[in-house]
Amino acid sequence: MSIRFPRALTAAALSAALLAGCGSTAADPAPTPSASAAGSALTGFDALVEEARGSTVTFYGWGGDDARNQFLQTTVADTLKEKYDITLEVVGMDIDAILAKLSGEKGAGQDAGTIDMIWINGENFYSCKENGLLYGPFTQELPNFNAYVDPEDPETLTDFCYPIEGYEAPYAKAQLVLIHDSAVTPETPASTEELLEFVQKYPGKVTYPAPPDFTGSAFVRNVIYDICGWEQFQDMEPDKEALRAAVAPAMEYLRELNPYLWNGGETFPASSTQLTNLFADGEVLLDISYSPYSPAVNIEKGVYPDTAQAFLWDKGTIGNTNYMAIAYNAPNKAGAMVVIHELLSPELQAAQYDAQKVLPVLDEARLSAEEQALFDAVDTGDGTLPQDELLEHRLPEMPAALVPLIEEIWAEEVVGQ
Amino acid sequence: MRRNPLPALILAVAGLCILLPVALLGLWSAAGRWPWPELWPENFSTRGLAELLAPYNRTGALLLSSVGLSLLAAALATLVGAMTARALAFHQFPGKGLVRFGAILPILVPGTVLAMGLHTVFLRLGLADTLSGVVLVHVISALPYTVSILTDVTQARGRGLEEQAAVLGASPTRAFLHGALPSLIPGLLSAGSMAFAISYSQYFTTLLLGGGQVRTLSLVMVPYIQSGDRTLASCYALLFVGSALAVFAVLEGLIHLWTGGRKWN
Repeated sequence: MSIRFPRALTAAALSAALLAGCGSTAADPAPTPSASAAGSALTGFDALVEEARGSTVTFYGWGGDDARNQFLQTTVADTLKEKYDITLEVVGMDIDAILAKLSGEKGAGQDAGTIDMIWINGENFYSCKENGLLYGPFTQELPNFNAYVDPEDPETLTDFCYPIEGYEAPYAKAQLVLIHDSAVTPETPASTEELLEFVQKYPGKVTYPAPPDFTGSAFVRNVIYDICGWEQFQDMEPDKEALRAAVAPAMEYLRELNPYLWNGGETFPASSTQLTNLFADGEVLLDISYSPYSPAVNIEKGVYPDTAQAFLWDKGTIGNTNYMAIAYNAPNKAGAMVVIHELLSPELQAAQYDAQKVLPVLDEARLSAEEQALFDAVDTGDGTLPQDELLEHRLPEMPAALVPLIEEIWAEEVVGQ
Repeated sequence: MRRNPLPALILAVAGLCILLPVALLGLWSAAGRWPWPELWPENFSTRGLAELLAPYNRTGALLLSSVGLSLLAAALATLVGAMTARALAFHQFPGKGLVRFGAILPILVPGTVLAMGLHTVFLRLGLADTLSGVVLVHVISALPYTVSILTDVTQARGRGLEEQAAVLGASPTRAFLHGALPSLIPGLLSAGSMAFAISYSQYFTTLLLGGGQVRTLSLVMVPYIQSGDRTLASCYALLFVGSALAVFAVLEGLIHLWTGGRKWN
């Protein structure tokens, strides 16, 4: 049985389930968050806290990262229990399965599901929100969101250029980095040009994960940005032929890389984790990661050699934010909002930065000196770049609708050519 | 007299094919970094073991509930399988071919499609996100195997002994229990083991129909295999294989006790 489920299948099932479902539920307006607190003497957030006391909140998301699982199940769970008497239940589930579950429930008109919070972003957020699978807007109700998140930050306003409108709150920031072993290759190819020289010098020792792998797809977009510039894509309509013309020089470049790649560019690793294993095994010389601090994590795990080091491209690499959303049929919406509020506290964001080595989402300008000190105290570990260097080289994501089109163009024009 | 070396050789090769990967799993479960072309891991780490033993993972409870769930599903699938097999082997009825075909449908339809279709049905029946729903979907997934194994076994045994007992005046129940059942036990056991293995390894069906509310070992293990975390994946895989083998051993032992050590096949 295939575990990763083809995206086309999910999309087809999603629309089929929605078509089959009762039209009335799809048209229901989103309930207002404050309605849940009606009848209580308390107002606003205090009422939510009171309502959530003693309840259980489920947090669904990918379960393959032990650092995240451990952080949520220990530090976060303990904090929530202590402060709000909320029990956090972390459920490992692929976003594809979450989408399938929610769309099935929507189709069957089920109002009481099991999912409270979802770890989400990009095209999945796009399809969830478009199909009415999310609850909101809710972020304006969260004191920590209002206090610490920059409302003007493009990544607060849009996710892959798609308006968020209060339907998800930032969780952590990611940014594409390349990783080399400084003991094996001193070079850090900082542009597509230098990468071409690098692969010519070390033929067969470089590759990238095949899109639609999340990281592989981001790498291809980064190549496009480096060669074609990033600005023109920000407001581009999802027209495949226009896009094909716009990215032609980048596809030409990727074809030029092919003969020098691992396996002669005939096959590509199916996932970024396979690439990481190839790099750890010394079979390829570069790893690509969407977690900028992954060298520190992998050196500590003993997977990478101690001399692994992250580097960036001079023109920048793509960064994005991942978010927390609430399911449209979440049984405990009040609890989910309290948990999301708490995950946006400086204390937990700093602890998360320390435990998982992911970039925090809070606006530094809004932190007090003591709060800022929490972040400054974090040791980002070996092989990583400082946060300000990452942020200086951070490029915005493309519109979500362009992403699958680029993946198609890559499959048509690059692989096997 | 020279013994034919071929059977021993085949046994050795087969043994190696099974034991070598398990031994590798054992090494990986404790290895930190093991780059090519080293023959031995560069360093060892207790990360996997620490994760398995960490209290927040409740590995013990997870193991017990997984085994319990799969035993229940296996028992039900074997029971339904045995009854279906009896009907198919000994009775003529309209639509028999359809029943035979229907019984293997769950393995002909792609797993994800089956799971998503059942999800919609189970939602309407109120079975989604419940333990009963997960047991039911595991039974459905295991039925093709139990039905086909038991149909063959039932046909091969025939109903001679049962008829003999009936001729001697035994009631149908007694004739079945004492005439047919003992000779079916090996078949029931292998069908049950197969059903257990199928149920124990269900991932997507458990995920979607259990909605994350029913935790099994597979649900925790598969994400680590997908993420390519070889140390943790190996740890969970060893636990998975080991616990399944232990269940089989206990089942065999119970049958052995029950039959009083008599050879029943």
